[in-house]
Amino acid sequence: MENVVELDGVSRSYGSRRRPINALRGVSLLVPAGVFVAVMGATGSGKSTLLHCAAGLDRPTSGRVRLVGRDVTRMREGALTRLRRDRVGFVFQSYNLLSELTVRQNVLLPRRLGGPRPRPLDEVLAEVGLAGLADRPVGELSGGQRQRVAIARALAGRPAVVFADEPTGALDPATGGQVLRLLRTGVDRAGVTVVMVTHDPTAAAWSDRLILLRDGELVADGPTPDAATIAQRLRAEASEPVVAQ
Amino acid sequence: MNAGLTRQALRKQPWAFAGPFVTQCLAAALVSGALGANSSMSGARLDPAARQALTDSGIPQMAALFVVLAVYLTALIVGLTMTSSIARQGRDIALVRAVGATPGRVRRAVAAQAAAVAVPATLLGVPLGALLARAWLAGLTGHAVIPPGVTFHPSAAALPAALAITVGTSLVGALVAALRPARVRPATALIETVVVRRRVSLVRTAIGVLLVAGGVVLSVRISNGDPAKADRASFFTMLAMSVGAGFLGPVLLRLTAPLARLLGGTGVLAAENLAVRAKALSGALVPLVLAIAFAMVKVVVHTTSGHVHGRPDRAAEVWTDYSGTAVYVAFAAVAAVNTLVTVLLSRRRELAVTRLVGASRVRALAVIVCEAQIVTLTAVVVGTVVAMVTMVPMLHGMLGTWTPHLPPGQLTLGLAVVVGLVLLGTVAPALVVTRRRPVESLVVDP
Repeated sequence: MENVVELDGVSRSYGSRRRPINALRGVSLLVPAGVFVAVMGATGSGKSTLLHCAAGLDRPTSGRVRLVGRDVTRMREGALTRLRRDRVGFVFQSYNLLSELTVRQNVLLPRRLGGPRPRPLDEVLAEVGLAGLADRPVGELSGGQRQRVAIARALAGRPAVVFADEPTGALDPATGGQVLRLLRTGVDRAGVTVVMVTHDPTAAAWSDRLILLRDGELVADGPTPDAATIAQRLRAEASEPVVAQ
Repeated sequence: MNAGLTRQALRKQPWAFAGPFVTQCLAAALVSGALGANSSMSGARLDPAARQALTDSGIPQMAALFVVLAVYLTALIVGLTMTSSIARQGRDIALVRAVGATPGRVRRAVAAQAAAVAVPATLLGVPLGALLARAWLAGLTGHAVIPPGVTFHPSAAALPAALAITVGTSLVGALVAALRPARVRPATALIETVVVRRRVSLVRTAIGVLLVAGGVVLSVRISNGDPAKADRASFFTMLAMSVGAGFLGPVLLRLTAPLARLLGGTGVLAAENLAVRAKALSGALVPLVLAIAFAMVKVVVHTTSGHVHGRPDRAAEVWTDYSGTAVYVAFAAVAAVNTLVTVLLSRRRELAVTRLVGASRVRALAVIVCEAQIVTLTAVVVGTVVAMVTMVPMLHGMLGTWTPHLPPGQLTLGLAVVVGLVLLGTVAPALVVTRRRPVESLVVDP
């Protein structure tokens, strides 16, 4: 099966050369098509950096990233932008949408930027439970509704992969569950690959495969257990002594 | 098509466009006034002697010069003010970049914002310029600078010319301002915490010292040369030192900030805030210092000359010199106020938190007033030093005196204008921002 996301020895450091902060240290990872991956780890373990590098939003300091079969490590900004627009969807915790525009304008944003023709808007909005809200400004919607607009935007263009950074971070468990079910449906019905960063074991339990990061290194990678087991493993992780830097 | 980034920005933060708007309005007024004055002068029915006198007055050339001034000052200041409005769109730009907008498209969207603001600004500025030019020509005929036969008639070309100039220069200024933000990696803008860097780089301080030293050397050298050349070169002396003062701004503000502590608890808060924001606020120092120094030099050269010779300079000379100075000072004032407003708007959340932990609205405003006083004091002191360095050698060369003379009335007026500008840029937006309950300010995304 073709890999949608490939990371090969990816490192990313910030700050000055004299005192670098190493957010990622040589992470390698293969994600085949149609898999739902959850990335977990303590605050500062490099989860978001991993997601940003894998999605072509940031460039690694060293190592190689392939996204839908193309090496994006040294790809020019314009080409990289078009690749994201045409094959990748995004859902962030917040700042997902242009608040002053309507639901329709936000969902059709990638299309208006020259992206692929999306599936019919009514169909997409019905799927995420927002039928009839196309012309509402997103500033008037609730948090859960906004997150569903973001998912509609991410899935409307039939992407190969969706990257989600704490998509349920600001939502209550019930509303969060609705959002995760939508991502799960995208994987099961349309064969989309999802890479999701989260700190919530209940959210991670919706995935097929669980990846654990500690201090910028990959420490576990395997089939996702149930939420209770994940929570237990995270607690054990937190009590481990911190490796000397 | 720019996918709504323009609409989003204009609706979400209309205040962020006040700087470009006022600049464009001013430029449109300048263009329409200058064109109207010019066509009125060339179209006036004058006998040959009066016509010759008009040409000799140099006023028609000056009007033409105003148009050129409008072009480059607008491009420069719209670029400057758009930079701050773009900075406030960081997350929106990151979002559209993530979902597929190329850097070029973001730049075009920013240019479209500047152009969209330019049109209403110009429509307002053109009639304003006609009014000002009418007063200007009346003043010139009143002081017998130009023959009395000249009366003002607005020029038909004013509106199209002003539109072309404001839209054109704004596009250029905005495109340049958007070069870097459009290229920033989306991930950089999406990271939640933004740390204010407090350390002042050595390079920055070194550049500042070099510029100031260069200005001083230039001033001393031109004082020994031809006075006419010295007058022209003095502008560059001033520019070098003002920009140098801007580079040294964080250091200068950190020197003056402790003075606020003399004012008690409120002052201590203000001093701490100033230390954190010294870098951002020094952006306002360059135009403030430039305006103060420029106006001071122009005024003091005339008043000292009058003092030395025992009679005031010719009204005609003073009148033309001051009208040119007014144009420069107006543009510089817009840039300064815009920077101050931008800094204050970016503190919306901080002000809300201050009030949530127990400061009353009055107390929060008192801190702002206190900070404004320190900024004013710094600008006035630095501006005066820059003016002195520029004009003392010049005065010696021209008039043979080392002591500048400035009547108290004009000094007070000048100080009042500076205080007024700084309060306009700090307290006025603070009043608006703190009108809402603090909790509401915290839920709105930044």
